[in-house]
Amino acid sequence: MTFLIQQTLIYGVPLLIVALAGVFAERSGIINLALEGIMVFGAFIGVLFVRIMQTSAGFEALKSAGDWMALQGLELLAMLAAAVCGAIFSLLLSFASINLRADQTIGGTALNLLAPALVLFFIRIIANQNTLQMASGDSASWFMIKKTTLGFDRDADLGFFGNTFLHKVYLATYVCIILFIVLSVILYKTRFGLRLRSCGENPQAANSLGINVQKMRYIGTTISGALAGMGGFVYALTTANCASTGDVAGFGFLAIAVMIFGNWKPLNIAGASLLFGLFKCIAAAYSSIDINGDGVYALANLGISSHFYRLLPYLITLLVLAFTSKSSRAPKAEGIPYDKSMR
Amino acid sequence: MKKVLALGLALVLVLSLAACGGKKAEAEANPQPKVTDNADEVSDNMTSSDGKYEVAFVTDVGQLKDKSFNQGTYDGVKLYANNNGLSYKYYQPANGDQATDDDRYDAMKSACENGAKVVVAAGFMQGSALERAAKDYPDTKFVFIDGWGMGLDNVVGIAFNEHECGYLAGYAVVKEGYEKLGFCGGGGGNNPACCRYGYGFVQGANAAAAEMGKQIDINYTWLYGASFSASPEMQTLANGWYETGTEVIFSAGGSIFQSITAAAAANDKFVVGVDTDQSYESDTVITSALKGVKEAASWAIGKAYDGTWASLNGFVSLGAADGATGLPEATWSLKNYSVDEYKAQLADIVSGKLQISSDVLENDAILSVNFSNATVNYVA
Repeated sequence: MTFLIQQTLIYGVPLLIVALAGVFAERSGIINLALEGIMVFGAFIGVLFVRIMQTSAGFEALKSAGDWMALQGLELLAMLAAAVCGAIFSLLLSFASINLRADQTIGGTALNLLAPALVLFFIRIIANQNTLQMASGDSASWFMIKKTTLGFDRDADLGFFGNTFLHKVYLATYVCIILFIVLSVILYKTRFGLRLRSCGENPQAANSLGINVQKMRYIGTTISGALAGMGGFVYALTTANCASTGDVAGFGFLAIAVMIFGNWKPLNIAGASLLFGLFKCIAAAYSSIDINGDGVYALANLGISSHFYRLLPYLITLLVLAFTSKSSRAPKAEGIPYDKSMR
Repeated sequence: MKKVLALGLALVLVLSLAACGGKKAEAEANPQPKVTDNADEVSDNMTSSDGKYEVAFVTDVGQLKDKSFNQGTYDGVKLYANNNGLSYKYYQPANGDQATDDDRYDAMKSACENGAKVVVAAGFMQGSALERAAKDYPDTKFVFIDGWGMGLDNVVGIAFNEHECGYLAGYAVVKEGYEKLGFCGGGGGNNPACCRYGYGFVQGANAAAAEMGKQIDINYTWLYGASFSASPEMQTLANGWYETGTEVIFSAGGSIFQSITAAAAANDKFVVGVDTDQSYESDTVITSALKGVKEAASWAIGKAYDGTWASLNGFVSLGAADGATGLPEATWSLKNYSVDEYKAQLADIVSGKLQISSDVLENDAILSVNFSNATVNYVA
């Protein structure tokens, strides 16, 4: 059970934060199809940052000295670097779709095509191959929080919650969850959030009340870029051993699906991304999942083909979308360039 | 807003300049090649004055720097070329993991057109492309690592007895006291080298368990390794195994090593490396099933230059008797199984006293074999 929860979080949290990135852009009226591209870019920046700091800033010494606070700091800094560069990258989309009033779908697609190419180009120059890895070691021994990092004995039993949420976890996971909650509250409970959302519903009305629609859309898309960039690095850190390959396995597009699936609402999105994470985890590890802790691997004993389990996450997405899309309601003005004269 | 955009673009520009700058400095740092036996001191890229590259390396699927098969072979190529003052270059077939025979042929063709006298191609999948290239460029010599003889004068195939080092690794970890093992293989279940590794590993583990009079369990899979690349799925699978008691996983498939060591580090468990001594790459590696790709590549290129190429008759098979398979003694970390015991075991293999089956058991064929003291749990 512990294993299932931990793996679900590892797959679910990048989806969660990137889907929220999508919400911020769409609520402000910009369709951000470029989530995948921004994730790729953010993952690259984060890994590059870790790599440079590892070799140049004496973190090797801190690692061998067991200074795990410094390593967690490095992780947070890398997340920040990925977020900043993701935000900068998303400005290309904002500029095209807000100032130039270009078609947002095409702009987003262009970024999706640009990001892997650009990233692979740099990785080729830096590492001479298609994968950029950490300079030394692996993400688990550098950044993972374990019982031993927290000062407990290796065999100590921390109880169910301790074992699940304090052992073999990444700080990044919790930072993302906290950010998710804080930003959701901002979007729904503050004056700023209301103004942002009004620009996605009826920008003409918002403008007539003195809200600067262009500025709001820039803010929405930039927050979106920052979150997607960070999500990309978190994905690379927790599931890809802190390596960047110009690819995030379609998580950006999945996040868009999760966003639609969650009806542009934070609580539904949280549910949807955890559901997807759960099935993704079952698909990869069904043969060693012991649900109630009795040593019986029920799923492996069912005798169903492994292909079925690998199909599940996508099948579930399709099914739920088919049943929920009737009630789904996108922000009304998303995708339409703002034109004052349309009032 | 334009200012913000300009700032963003400027940052991107600075970043790219910085990246290019770093690269140039590196090239200037090693202007003159010196004789060395440390491949890391030899740059992966060299620029020849006339734009011709005499010794070429064509990679297998997966990354050049996979810390395993490709990297090991290229180390041998680099070392020979560097120490003999030859120009060298590596070629990666286009389309990465989905490379077709045409992509591989194109890589070999550009190697030949760039003036290659010797082309080293790694991986059995290069077979048909190599045969075509060897016929089209009869004056170029081809070394086919993990390959076979083709009856062509300019091709030498080199195969390894992977079952021997797989056996030694399996034997060693069980002697060390581990009882729940795992095997993750690359190539999707029909790569002959990986199949020999897997079967050898199980044979060795079974033999040790029989001697010690106990029963062991082995999880055995080809899942997620087909492209020899790291993936979240591989990491989750390995995590699941470690979580449910597996103590050591033998990672026999290039970059899947990245995923498996990540899982091992997370669970404080262990990994057996493959092809080269991988204990330098991760603290979780307790031993590695070595095959001397680096030495074999250097040796075969040497044959092309010293005029003894024809004496190889187009094919060599290297094993423990040639010092080409074994476990790394210099970085020995096992406590209950000593280097001396290992050496005795190795000597038995060399003398033929210990026979190991070299059968290639594809996919789930391992299940058709009865092991007295090992239970193989095939995961598909």
